[in-house]
Amino acid sequence: MAPLPIPAGTEPQGSEPPRAAPAPRVVPLTALTRRAASTPAALELWAGVQLPGPVPADALQRLARRALHYTPRVSLEPPDGLLLEVQGSLHLFAGVAGLRRFLTEECRRLGVASVLAFAPTPLAALALARAGRPHAVLDAAQLVGQLAALPLTTLRWPEDVLGRLGRCGVRTIGAALRLPRGGFARRFGTAQLATLDALTGRTRDLRTAFRARVRFRRRRELLFELENHQAILAALAPLIAELGAFLTERQCSLLELECRLEHRHAPPTCCVLRLAAPLADAQHLAALLGERLEKLSLAEPVRGCELRTAALVPQRADSLQLWQPGEHGGGLSSEASGLIERLRARLGEEAIHGLTLLEGHRPEKAWGKTAPPADTGGRPAPRGRTARRLPPASRRPLWLLPAPRSLTVRDGLPRRRGPLRLIGEPERIETGWWDGEEIARDYYTAADSHGVLLWVFRERQAPHGWYLHGVFG
Amino acid sequence: MDGDPKLARLLEHPALWRGRSAARRAVLPSGFTALDERLPGQGWPRSGLIEILTARFGSGELYLLLPLLAAVTRAAGARWCVWVAPPLMPFAPALAAAGVALERVAVVGGARPLWAFEQVLRSGACDVALAWARAPKARELRRLQLAAERGRTLGVLFRPRSAVREASPAVLRLGLAPCATGARVTVLKGRSSDRGTIELTWPHDRPARPHG
Repeated sequence: MAPLPIPAGTEPQGSEPPRAAPAPRVVPLTALTRRAASTPAALELWAGVQLPGPVPADALQRLARRALHYTPRVSLEPPDGLLLEVQGSLHLFAGVAGLRRFLTEECRRLGVASVLAFAPTPLAALALARAGRPHAVLDAAQLVGQLAALPLTTLRWPEDVLGRLGRCGVRTIGAALRLPRGGFARRFGTAQLATLDALTGRTRDLRTAFRARVRFRRRRELLFELENHQAILAALAPLIAELGAFLTERQCSLLELECRLEHRHAPPTCCVLRLAAPLADAQHLAALLGERLEKLSLAEPVRGCELRTAALVPQRADSLQLWQPGEHGGGLSSEASGLIERLRARLGEEAIHGLTLLEGHRPEKAWGKTAPPADTGGRPAPRGRTARRLPPASRRPLWLLPAPRSLTVRDGLPRRRGPLRLIGEPERIETGWWDGEEIARDYYTAADSHGVLLWVFRERQAPHGWYLHGVFG
Repeated sequence: MDGDPKLARLLEHPALWRGRSAARRAVLPSGFTALDERLPGQGWPRSGLIEILTARFGSGELYLLLPLLAAVTRAAGARWCVWVAPPLMPFAPALAAAGVALERVAVVGGARPLWAFEQVLRSGACDVALAWARAPKARELRRLQLAAERGRTLGVLFRPRSAVREASPAVLRLGLAPCATGARVTVLKGRSSDRGTIELTWPHDRPARPHG
């Protein structure tokens, strides 16, 4: 570009004439994006693996885990396909021919026949494989030519779309590609046009990569046979430390940990630690495992130990609390879940439970056990629950016997360590005819000779027995 | 003595410790005015172990605590209220009717109650923990008291009346016996508190026992 003309009078003497900066090259953004969209397709090579029929999800995942040996980019095409991006792996496995041999062998080992096709776009590889053509299209320029003859059914479009296309005489991919884009989108749907674009590499086809589940599993042979719980825990310590490092590296927590102790003759002793909240702290895990081991009775001395985790959960990065727990509404999750775990580790899964109200007039069915109260994050308890119609507190005891206990009767009045004196009017509860546990009772408040208030009832049916059902506390 | 303003100002000096100041700790109102006046610091201690001795189960010991439980579980930022090894199952509808937030109530099963009670007290996850124990040893009680202080929890231990002769490290010991309209509460031990017996009347929502 020529320098800008500068009027002669204004030019400073003895200095270089100012030059205009080189003008920036203006390129339409669409052209750049189109190039960006077309280049990666040429740099990728996808292998489509088509199995003869639908397989269960876990079989497909097993195949995907095997496929991860050849490339990190594997994606599932349920129910019967698998895609691998292999451009980077070609030179490691003797090119396309070598890869084809390896992958076919993997499928054969899992007991399935397969068709393998290679193409620059994932959909094209899949379409070729679905059509049963084990081609390898390495050049993007040849892609459309290779695809043209394939039937449209390989794209697995909805039946009615395929039917409408068929009535127009369009049965192959090539015929569909020749249709005008605008009209095609209008008549057969934009989703189908997007598929065609992805098929030919016009747009980028992004795939969700398959990730194998991560688990921790380490075994340790012991030098001596151990019987002492403390010694076993000490032997487990390196494994636990390794587990802690493993979890930290992956930013994962675990909910379940299995510890297997191997013996000389007896089958291995398993102890499974279930946690109330995801945990990644090795020290805490060691303490919990110690509690659990102490309770364990071992059939024989231990010769080896192994730690296994169930599926891991990603760690949640929480901010630390500004307030101390319980202060100004500070959270309590760590203390509370720690307590639940300690109690469960020592006393069993049923050690701690919460209480809840149930809809029902029968006292036995008016309450239930729930999971221990969850952390409410310091919020005040919701008030809606008690707003429900509850019987007046005066009519319900604070303690309920697990089952009504029969009382002796003298002169028509119940006795319990002396005669009981009935107080106030009875309350009749007569319900439950629909589930075969019908009750028909007249409940009384009764005071025994020591002043303890009891909740007793008299059966309405013969023989009109008296029962103790609750204590007022 | 406290009536003299000059003296009162002098006594506010932080280096001065008076026996009565032991009672000036954080307290939780008991809900009974007569009892508050008699308790050290005018209420249940915020943390520490207290004992309630009754001759019989069901003498009204829970009604003594119900206003406290209702207030504590309904408070903002409330922690749990845990029942360790209760002799019977607490009846949820009655608790809810008395205003206790069931979402904050947990029940711990019966095996090894003292160990579980200590864990609960120590954890710092609870505001109040109730426990029933038959014959705890003095050493265990001492541990419970320390655990309650550490976890900033009010531990309530229900014991039979016969334990009155045993020494106890509890902050407060109350004896309780039912009477006509409520219960007779005796302060058996309390830091700088007045001993003596008071009669409490239960609110109307508990059935009253007729005279005779």
